[in-house]
Amino acid sequence: MIEVDKLTKTFTVHQKEPGLKASLKSLFVRKSITKTAVKEVSFRVDEGEIVGVVGANGAGKTTLVKMLAGIIHPTSGDARVLGFRPWERKRDFTRQIALIMGQKAQLWWDLPAADSFLLLREIYQIPEEKFRPALDYLVSILDVKEQLTVQVRRLSLGERMKMELIAALLHSPRIVYLDEPTIGLDLTAQRAIRDFILRYREAHRPAMILTSHYMEDIERLCRRILIIREGELVFDGPLEKVVQIYADHKVVTAHLQKQPEPVRETDELRALGQVDTCNDVMIKLRVPRPRVAEVAAELLRRYPVADLAIEEVDVGTIIERIIRARREADTAQVRP
Amino acid sequence: MRLFWSMVGVEVRKRMSYRVDFWINSVVGFVTELGVAWFIVLAMFSGADRVGGFSRDGMLLYYVAIILIARLVRSTDLEWAIADDIYQGALSRYLLYPVTYGVLKYATQIGALLPALVQVALFGAWVPFVLGIPEGVHLTPATVAMSAGAIVVANALHFLSTYPIQLVAFWADNCWSLLVAHRLIAMLFGGILLPLALFPAWSQPILNALPYRYMFAFPADALLGRLSVAEYAWGLGIAVAWCGIFAAVSAAVWRRGTLQYTGVGM
Repeated sequence: MIEVDKLTKTFTVHQKEPGLKASLKSLFVRKSITKTAVKEVSFRVDEGEIVGVVGANGAGKTTLVKMLAGIIHPTSGDARVLGFRPWERKRDFTRQIALIMGQKAQLWWDLPAADSFLLLREIYQIPEEKFRPALDYLVSILDVKEQLTVQVRRLSLGERMKMELIAALLHSPRIVYLDEPTIGLDLTAQRAIRDFILRYREAHRPAMILTSHYMEDIERLCRRILIIREGELVFDGPLEKVVQIYADHKVVTAHLQKQPEPVRETDELRALGQVDTCNDVMIKLRVPRPRVAEVAAELLRRYPVADLAIEEVDVGTIIERIIRARREADTAQVRP
Repeated sequence: MRLFWSMVGVEVRKRMSYRVDFWINSVVGFVTELGVAWFIVLAMFSGADRVGGFSRDGMLLYYVAIILIARLVRSTDLEWAIADDIYQGALSRYLLYPVTYGVLKYATQIGALLPALVQVALFGAWVPFVLGIPEGVHLTPATVAMSAGAIVVANALHFLSTYPIQLVAFWADNCWSLLVAHRLIAMLFGGILLPLALFPAWSQPILNALPYRYMFAFPADALLGRLSVAEYAWGLGIAVAWCGIFAAVSAAVWRRGTLQYTGVGM
């Protein structure tokens, strides 16, 4: 459904030093730099898949989504969405896609959402016999019947986001782009939006691309993720594979029976693994995968262990580490 | 067409939700413009009985007519709306819709005409009764109908003339100064600042060929019975031709501009 081939987008950005002198100078001479927001990214997304795109701020996630939605043109490379080049914006293409942006209102601000939905019915030419059941379904599942007649600008952020979802999905798009759909929402609203997305996916099987800074969004909704770092795709695969590939260790936690004295962080303990915590009630070590069984046995032998837990490193931490890796490498290079 | 009128309806409903704004714009705006026109007319006619073929009352009626017509032609505050959409990144949502952006925006402009129509009805209806019908002015149902037709074309012409200028926002981020310059030029050569009859004879063919006359002075002249049917038909033809030229220029600029669009602010 979505096929992306070496998609690249560069922007020319003007640079201006701070201060009045620089402002005057910039009227005549300007420095500009070319910034590569997306660099030769290739992937494909199939029907019914929800693919999470993660990366730091400015990594190129939104630029990628904008290109795939047809809002901006790429500098090079190609993409086909439902067989169309998105940026050609053919009517048959735009009728089948939706983009939901958590940070930007798409509804008519001064009108009740119900009025916007009627207008969208005309924009997408949805027949009444399809429009009414679709609207009723979305309104009931998101529980916003009472808010339909309230001006959008008077709605809470969570209510507005629900209305945005309805507006975007009324025409039953086959491709849905979700750009930070839960940003700024409280936990209850975040959960409601996630549940809704899953239910919608089950019912309609669209291909979905989700960008989010919340790992819970990614973990809950996506089986597959794309990690983008400074415009480059550095990982494309199942979420659990990130852990296998990038987490070369596990976390071994030994809960101790109450000790009269805290356990000392000795060289012997450090030889078992990297010590995260060491006190009178707990020892927490990061242990290389091949040594996990051996270290667990050693802990049981040496200390009065009440309970022992062996866990994978939190996926969010791993992704954060991957995202930061390049930046840290760059920083290391410039260090004297 | 259903979508067009739906969009008009949305804008009408939106406009009707701002009551204070409507009354401030209606009363303060109209009274200010009328006051300025009154002083201009007084200055023009100090020591003169007729200026540019107008009597004093005829000139005053011309100014009232052109002030009201300008409201119908320029709509309310949408002259910067397209440039603003590009600058703010709000254009992005329209690019996602299976519709033509310019048509949606024109529907918005038509919808925003409602306050102007009410203003014209409120302030325009009593003018002939207060000022009377001066000598040389022929205000009849036929001239009202001719003027209405000219206003419809003028509205489209004004929209299309500002459209490519607003699209400069694709490159310049902000094209406010260009739009102000366009507005001043249109007011001068469109007969709002001064009746075109006051311009020198050599400039008249140029004024007749430029699009601005057909935005304001032409519908006012039609209303006041200053045009023959032949002049009216010829003028409408020129206005429609300019609409075609501006539409072609807009389409070309749009094609180039959307290549530059970054959706910043999205």
